[in-house]
Amino acid sequence: MKILTTFYQLNHLENLSAYADGFLIGNDNFGTRLTHSFEIDEIVEALMITEKFNKELFLMANQMFTDEQLVYFEKWILKLPIEKFQGIIVTDLGALRVLEKLGQQKKVVYHPETLLTNAYDFNFLSSNNIQGAFVAKEITLSDVLSIGDQKKYQMFMVGHGHLNMFYSKRQLIDNFMVFTESENPYHNKQNMRLIEETRKEEPYPIFEDRAGTHVFRSQVSTSLKHLDELESAVDYLIIDTLFKDDHYAQSVLNLYHNRLYDNQLIEKIKTDYQEAWDEGFFYKKTVYKQKDKL
Amino acid sequence: MIELLAPAGDLEKLKIALMYGADAVFIGGQNFSLRARASNFTLEDIRTATSFAHEKGKRVYVTTNIIPHEDDLEGVKEYLKALESCEVDAIISASPYIIDMALEHTSLEIHLSTQQSTLNAETVNFWHNKGITRIVLARELDKYQIKTLVSKTNADIEVFIHGGMCMSYSGRCSLSNTMTDRDANRGGCAHSCRWIYELVEDGKSVSNQMFSMSSKDLSALEQIPYLIDAKVSSLKIEGRMKSLHYIATVVSTYRRLIDNYIQQSSIDDFKPYLTELQKAENRRASFGYLEGMPGIEQLLYDKKSEQPSQLFIGLVQDYDEENGTATIEQRNHFEIGQEIEIFNPNGSERSFILDNMTDEDGNPLDVARHPKQILKIKVPFKVETYAMLRKK
Repeated sequence: MKILTTFYQLNHLENLSAYADGFLIGNDNFGTRLTHSFEIDEIVEALMITEKFNKELFLMANQMFTDEQLVYFEKWILKLPIEKFQGIIVTDLGALRVLEKLGQQKKVVYHPETLLTNAYDFNFLSSNNIQGAFVAKEITLSDVLSIGDQKKYQMFMVGHGHLNMFYSKRQLIDNFMVFTESENPYHNKQNMRLIEETRKEEPYPIFEDRAGTHVFRSQVSTSLKHLDELESAVDYLIIDTLFKDDHYAQSVLNLYHNRLYDNQLIEKIKTDYQEAWDEGFFYKKTVYKQKDKL
Repeated sequence: MIELLAPAGDLEKLKIALMYGADAVFIGGQNFSLRARASNFTLEDIRTATSFAHEKGKRVYVTTNIIPHEDDLEGVKEYLKALESCEVDAIISASPYIIDMALEHTSLEIHLSTQQSTLNAETVNFWHNKGITRIVLARELDKYQIKTLVSKTNADIEVFIHGGMCMSYSGRCSLSNTMTDRDANRGGCAHSCRWIYELVEDGKSVSNQMFSMSSKDLSALEQIPYLIDAKVSSLKIEGRMKSLHYIATVVSTYRRLIDNYIQQSSIDDFKPYLTELQKAENRRASFGYLEGMPGIEQLLYDKKSEQPSQLFIGLVQDYDEENGTATIEQRNHFEIGQEIEIFNPNGSERSFILDNMTDEDGNPLDVARHPKQILKIKVPFKVETYAMLRKK
């Protein structure tokens, strides 16, 4: 199982390379929920750095696309040395079709967020010869392992970070600031939270970028305790450091790379970044057809 | 001919939707369907539904649109075969497993659910090439994008025109899963996006007003001519949980609008249609993404909802022309002396003052107090079976 991480600054890639097997990078015209939007020359530089340290680089092209955006996406990606990426992460099947047309389907990693919740659906693009897919975040550890047993291509899983739980195309923070007749200094800011009136102890990170507005789980989901089990199922485990920084990436990567379940180190990270950890949906079986009122 | 597609939460609503002008209805079965709290149809109900619809030359689609987890897959093939034997006209699905089972083991027509959030012609054609007849588009497209997309595919395209709006891309939201353990993609959505939130920066509130992620409902009256000209195949009204009166009013209004536009090639005034819709609406509405990216005019920043302008008070079961008496089923309180509007399935409306009412046994009544009570009232003109009574 390889470990990938997001990152904020190119000049931190060398240090992070001590623990990570690879990195995720993107530009906010085509990627979303990015730690930082990198321009083409920076992405090319990242490819050179990762090549130097023998690491893999995945391109995030995980927005939902209209027809016009797909045209721009095709033009943009042709400016990049596609063959040098280990993979290209797409959420929209239209992006897969564009990459197929370019003969690059083997680079595709399909990431439809919530949709791949059983083995059949996880494998449904196997005849398209793609590289792999992200298993949904909203399923149990048992289901992840079961899907892993039946996988026909590589399995990717978000293993650590604030899992996103809402993706709207609307600019909701901007709308709100218009409604309150104020400027919007909060676009692309990573320090914003939403507080629901009956769940005040659980501030949900909210992030507005070019692609829309995203809301995330309050707790950081961790899979640190389950790395040995996940080894047989997951090919790429992702550390998502959105809302954090590269020092955070380094601290967390140290734990995952060395498989350290060290309470002291964990508590220090939680304290430093004022965050709580849980195991996401690993043991939280969501209800099918709940009929009771709240 | 463009299709008007309506929701139906039960058999009565299905009949009303078809009587009031829908060309097709979509319903939920008891398995593999979202909208868990809609009173979903048994297989026997579905058979009754298809029989009723087919007699009128209309169609019935069944939603099998959950995103199944590992332990939800059992019984899919058998259920799909049962739907086929009920002569269902199509299923609406999002899961590749359910789609492939239908393709391999039945001859059911398949419509791709909006849970897949399809936004572009490439994706439409991806699914169409797999054997899917119709694609229900994501709500996040404007009318110009829809027109362009239709021109690039041979697939039938279905577009939402009326009803609730998910704030997130459909199928990509797990707010409900996280906040209530209820799986939005398996029929348990708690509508957490419509709750009250505060927006904070570094722990400090950015406003004394509450943040909203709640959208006005969709109402695309003025966009219908464009969508017809764009060669969209089906116009979809959403809301399997909505009332009988809502279904009748909304379906009837769009039916008349579509028919009038097709006959006259233009609509001079949308106001009469809007006035009619407002008799049923209880949430504020707008045109969603159809005219471009929604701004604040499309959001609800408080929890107030507007009441419908008229109240549904009874459903006509029969009309005796000899003595001018209608047999009705009471749905809301009304009394002698009130002005009552009769709303017929053909869309016509006529009012009268109620001056004579009895119970089933002929005992005179001044007030209709009891829900579902069968009453006889004098109506000075002919009314149709399934006509609705509204209190003005």
